[in-house]
Amino acid sequence: MSESSTPVEEQKQGASRRTFLKVLGAAGATTAAIGCSSNTGEKLIPYLVQPDETVPGVSNYYASTCRECAAGCGVLLEVRDGRTFKIEGNPDHPLNRGALCSRGQASVQGLYNPDRYRQPMLRKNGKLSPISWTQAIQLLEQQLATVQSAGKAGSALFINQHESGSFPGFLDAWLAGYGMPAHLSYAALADGGVIAANRQSYGVAWPSLDFTAAKLIVSFGADFLETWGANVPQQLSFADARAKGADAPRFVYVGPRRSLTGMNADQWIACKPGSELAIANALGGSGSIAQAAQASDVPVATLQALATELAKGPPSLFLAGGSFDVALAVNGLNQKFGNVGRSVLSARPIESFEGMSSDAELMDAIERMRAGQVSMLLVRGANPVFTSPKSAKVADAMAKVAFKVSFSSYPDETSELCDLVLPDNHAIESWGDAQPLPGVISLQQPGMDPVYETRATADVLLAVAKGNPKLATAHPAPSYREYLIGRYPGGTAAFTAALIKGISSGALASERAKKAVVATTRTAANIEATSGDTYLVVYPSPLLDDGSGANKPWLQEIPDPVTKVCWQTVVEVGSSAAARLAIDSGDVLRVETAAGAITAPAYVYPGLRGDTIAIAFGRGHTAYGRYAMNVGVNPGDLLPVAFDAKSGAQAWTSTKVKVTKTGDFIPLVSSEGSARQHGRGIAQAIDARDLGIVPTPAEAEKTGGGEEHLPGDASHEFLPGLRAPVAQDAQGDLPSDDNMKGMYDPKHWSGMAKRRWAMTVDLARCTGCSACVTACYAENNIATVGAIHQSHSTSGLEGQPGANILRGREMAWIRLERYFEGGETLDESFETRFVPMLCQQCGNAPCEPVCPVYATYHSPDGLNVQVYNRCVGTRYCSNNCPYKVRYFNWFGYGEPARPQYAWPERMNWQLNPDVTVRGKGVMEKCTFCVQRIRESEHRAKLEGRAVEADEFTTSCAQACPSNAITFGDAADPAWSVTKMIADKRAYHVFEELNTFTAVVYLKKVNHTVAAGA
Amino acid sequence: MTAVAPETHEERRDNIATADVQLPLVKSYTQVTDEILDTLKITKAWLTGLAIAVTCLGIGATAWIYQIYMGLGVAGYHPPVMWGVYIITFVFWVGIGHAGTLISAILYLFRAGFRTTIYRCAEVMTVFAVMTAGLFPILHLGRPWKFFWLIPYPNWRLIWPQFKSPLVWDVFAILTYLTVSATFLFIGLIPDLAVLRDRETNPLRKKIYGVLSFGWRNSDREWRHFARAYLFLAAFSTPLVLSVHSVVSFDFAMADVPGWHTTIFPPYFVAGAIFSGIGMVFTIIIPVRRWFKLKHYVTLNHLDAAAKLCLFTSLVVGCAYLTEFFIAWYSGSETEQAYFVNRVFGQWWWAAWIMLTCNGILPMMLFSQKLRRNTTFLFTLSIFINLGMWYERFVIIVPSLSHEFEPWQWAPYAPTYIDWAILLGSFGWFSMWFLLFVKQLPVLAIAEIKEIVPPRMRHPVSRLSLDGHGETPGTDASNEVL
Repeated sequence: MSESSTPVEEQKQGASRRTFLKVLGAAGATTAAIGCSSNTGEKLIPYLVQPDETVPGVSNYYASTCRECAAGCGVLLEVRDGRTFKIEGNPDHPLNRGALCSRGQASVQGLYNPDRYRQPMLRKNGKLSPISWTQAIQLLEQQLATVQSAGKAGSALFINQHESGSFPGFLDAWLAGYGMPAHLSYAALADGGVIAANRQSYGVAWPSLDFTAAKLIVSFGADFLETWGANVPQQLSFADARAKGADAPRFVYVGPRRSLTGMNADQWIACKPGSELAIANALGGSGSIAQAAQASDVPVATLQALATELAKGPPSLFLAGGSFDVALAVNGLNQKFGNVGRSVLSARPIESFEGMSSDAELMDAIERMRAGQVSMLLVRGANPVFTSPKSAKVADAMAKVAFKVSFSSYPDETSELCDLVLPDNHAIESWGDAQPLPGVISLQQPGMDPVYETRATADVLLAVAKGNPKLATAHPAPSYREYLIGRYPGGTAAFTAALIKGISSGALASERAKKAVVATTRTAANIEATSGDTYLVVYPSPLLDDGSGANKPWLQEIPDPVTKVCWQTVVEVGSSAAARLAIDSGDVLRVETAAGAITAPAYVYPGLRGDTIAIAFGRGHTAYGRYAMNVGVNPGDLLPVAFDAKSGAQAWTSTKVKVTKTGDFIPLVSSEGSARQHGRGIAQAIDARDLGIVPTPAEAEKTGGGEEHLPGDASHEFLPGLRAPVAQDAQGDLPSDDNMKGMYDPKHWSGMAKRRWAMTVDLARCTGCSACVTACYAENNIATVGAIHQSHSTSGLEGQPGANILRGREMAWIRLERYFEGGETLDESFETRFVPMLCQQCGNAPCEPVCPVYATYHSPDGLNVQVYNRCVGTRYCSNNCPYKVRYFNWFGYGEPARPQYAWPERMNWQLNPDVTVRGKGVMEKCTFCVQRIRESEHRAKLEGRAVEADEFTTSCAQACPSNAITFGDAADPAWSVTKMIADKRAYHVFEELNTFTAVVYLKKVNHTVAAGA
Repeated sequence: MTAVAPETHEERRDNIATADVQLPLVKSYTQVTDEILDTLKITKAWLTGLAIAVTCLGIGATAWIYQIYMGLGVAGYHPPVMWGVYIITFVFWVGIGHAGTLISAILYLFRAGFRTTIYRCAEVMTVFAVMTAGLFPILHLGRPWKFFWLIPYPNWRLIWPQFKSPLVWDVFAILTYLTVSATFLFIGLIPDLAVLRDRETNPLRKKIYGVLSFGWRNSDREWRHFARAYLFLAAFSTPLVLSVHSVVSFDFAMADVPGWHTTIFPPYFVAGAIFSGIGMVFTIIIPVRRWFKLKHYVTLNHLDAAAKLCLFTSLVVGCAYLTEFFIAWYSGSETEQAYFVNRVFGQWWWAAWIMLTCNGILPMMLFSQKLRRNTTFLFTLSIFINLGMWYERFVIIVPSLSHEFEPWQWAPYAPTYIDWAILLGSFGWFSMWFLLFVKQLPVLAIAEIKEIVPPRMRHPVSRLSLDGHGETPGTDASNEVL
């Protein structure tokens, strides 16, 4: 850890350290150092002299900034004994308010990725081989000198992954010192068209959005819950809006494909690809409804109804994805309906998106490379070989550049073509800053020393500059950290103080002018004019984004929120097209365009127009490590190099394709069993109109029930669940003649007996984004099982990614079930309901009495406890679990010598030291994060107080960007969960089975009536 | 040595399900002893059979060792189908293990004479079938090396098994049944062991047989004690026949799984077990009587009677199948109804129809006496019954688990080559023990058969006896005289 990193909270010492350690040890906490399973004699605690704030077995938290996307959310790095093992949202950060998306949470898997470059690499005889940092820096100095002396510095090119903060300015200054042009700040699949339109309309790249101020939300393909803009703050605001019950906004999604965002909409208007503009114009009054209906293949009545709804003038919010023109028209709608300043907060822009180069600028640079006009290429973070369409032939162009330097940490497609690799530190190992919002500085500090022999690029650049006597004076700072402190308003003291919270108010001096929009001439052809029979929609994967997530097994393994397919690229085919062409899920399709062809299995999806197919971008890597390579296919192979004329953004929906069945069949690696509920009331919903009618539990009591109960329907009454004899015993409800009850005695010193840990999941808030699943993987050492090397000859897909999942062996303790509602055959009006399903911690648990060895039993505080060491693996508990939330260790996922090992060396550093890694042949399941419960209880005891209400929460609840999950003690009215349980929307899943679950769901609220009606 | 007459020769068609059983071609005690002991001679065919059995066992054992090393993932489990081929095969073998005790104990108490010639075979089958079945609960464990945690033994951790769990009941039921049926088999063997001892020339083997026969001297007193002990054990075993498979059925009936959670399971499982056991008896005894030239002992009359028992249990099982469907409809439980519709029309429809055909429809042919006396037909039918009963357990276990409450977790299931290898190994294991037995100990009860040889023929009267194998009266007198 760097010397002056400052922990967020000093450990409060209610007892001496020795006592605390004794308690920890005596509690049998799973503090065994599972993080160090290698036999190389590593130190348990990697310190020679232990810093004061570091206590073995107690976490420190360091506030930092997430760099997985441009947004710049605040994070807390949880550090134990010198290793960062978990990333959580920083509750004090104004952007993400404590939440964090899957990609951000998975960045630890990037940190410990086993395929990272471990030291600088130099191409020798066509192969990258390790060299020392001294050599590497010398070599870079030489090359820079050569370029400079040849007078070709002006034609050097630096491509940097777009980020905000001080680095872009620092980099440009450094480049200028060598006479090089400013760098390209590249972000693949960013919504360049929207940014350009926003700049034209509002003068900022990305306004903040306040969904709570709207009564009607209309999204024209803007997937604001996924990759469009800053998804975490948008999701927080959207969920807050949707939680307002009858006052919540109605949400209409316009687009050919119902994305995850579209699934959260109350209405889907399935327009033709490319016809969004016509609809937006018609709604804005600059076009006729009839023409728009014809262009978009949407019934006139549908558009007319929306126009009528708008005419009533409800506060609204219009969002656009895709091209500049649509975005501009939509901005016009916002202005027309008075949303600017109300729900579109252009005065509070998300500044992280400023300064982004367009795809066309990158492609121009690539063309210069191809023409041999680029003397030297430097790439940091970006991976243009993968993210550019195959038809751009970036690799060929790069071959024309004499010397190519990569600062990538990973062996990705681009760095594998470079001559010199100077691996950058991971964001968790680096200093930095960001300016996510005006007047907010978000600081980035390292959570630990570098895992491998990597160096921060900024420090490398400084070292190189110092080697040049002419430049040394221009770069006085000894390190990038010092440079940042030098720039920081208030200097060292303020900087150190700000590090504690990770954020401060103030503005960073910006050397970079706001980028002007660069128009391009290589515009996309009219989609109707391209050859083919079917429209192609290419969208960034919600989890893998532009493919940078593909080397993180969590993101590969967590099923796509929409298709529920993992470790695979599928061609989504609309239900009507599938029926017409006799395509079934799993049939291999060949998709062809003028630019290329791919083959991939089909996934039949009701949320897609019959004349359209959709393919997620992000898989199909040919390099990038063991988890990404040879997994899925890349739809970029199909795309022409074509840009949105006015913004220069790559046009992702720009071509038609020819789709043919090959006759092969590949089973889908999917977590989906049946996508329909079969009337079992698992995911329940209520219409907003009925919210006022449904009685509260108290009212229902008075009127003698009121509603008729269907099986699975909620009685709106929370059953505390402590009905099983053991549980009753725990509550002290059973008569006792002696005092031999141990912990079950309510007077027992542990004081656990009167607790009932419980959870509510508000389905009105839940968007199905699966961030809770990632959080659970991270917190609970859950094995990923789908990597290619983990397959087995009995799996049916040997040597294929996802082989174990094909046999249903995924281990996610919490899963997002996605049910479709609608008629027998789902039409456009179908509804999607998401249910996070986890162990329901039943009060009367079917799993408990069937275990022959007491491996699962009821704890005094009402938890279903699974004792891994006692489990012999009969799997009877799983058979008897109606919710099917128990997971079995089919292979030795925790044994390093096996091919199924889930944490190849250094990935195991991420393992949570508080949680056991389960062995082969035992059952596991959600524990309600029992390690967090016990930690809080121990801390409270040490501090001589009771556990306070809402003092801690589970990992899933902590991460949820919708705040849909609330955890707490339902036996204590002070906890929020107790209030949530009293909600009239509350229900238990399979209540008729008398399991007395501790997980209470709050019904989803549907808004079918026009806003303002 | 024995020239066996054609099967139709002197066969009686009376109701022979009584003590009044006759073996017209069996003339003397000596003939009984000679002919039955003759089956103990080792032949090439037997050696070949043993080699095949041991090979199959080897394949299964290898697969198991591999499975222990790699983890249960090498088997075809597909959550939520957490039980598969192993538990199916476990229930299958436990079921097989029922006919033996039924025939030897219950039919003994009922004085059903036809049991005399088949009961030893059935009892041996029972013991080895239960030994085979007993392997599977261990074999299917995630951590089989910890299997003893299911047994309540004193330990310093003071942890006991969960006595509410049907799996613990299983441990007791199976171990009790194995102990009692093995004891019963051994007690019945004592007089025969004495015969072996007397005929044995190898001193070591003679010694062993002597010890095993408890120094049987054929005295009146010994016979009196023997008869009482045998009757007592028969009475003791009888309830076990009903209890073991009831307990096995609790593994399912006590769970909340649709398709499992039903009160009909205990009688249904017991009937099914007896049905499958008799099926397996046919599968074994028909080749045995042919290859060991014992057709004049195990006559068509006996097979006919056993086939009637088979038919009866088939009808009980068929009735249970229909009752299950009725109750599912009558219950009004949607999950239960959905499961039963899925059972016959869903992804596993073929398994359900194999079960219904093999166990309910084909055995109806046994209403024909002609077919009951056709050994080829009986053997073929018995194979179908074995198959049908395996699939019955498949239908109970796999479709139920794959189609439970939570539709999102509905899943397919397909066994892998490891599953099949272990299933094959179980047949190898069973066959190996059975084959070893039949060459060491008589597969027909010598003493009991002698009881039904008519008294006036107890001594060979002339050299004109059927086999022409003349023997002087009085040889081996100590054994031959009852």
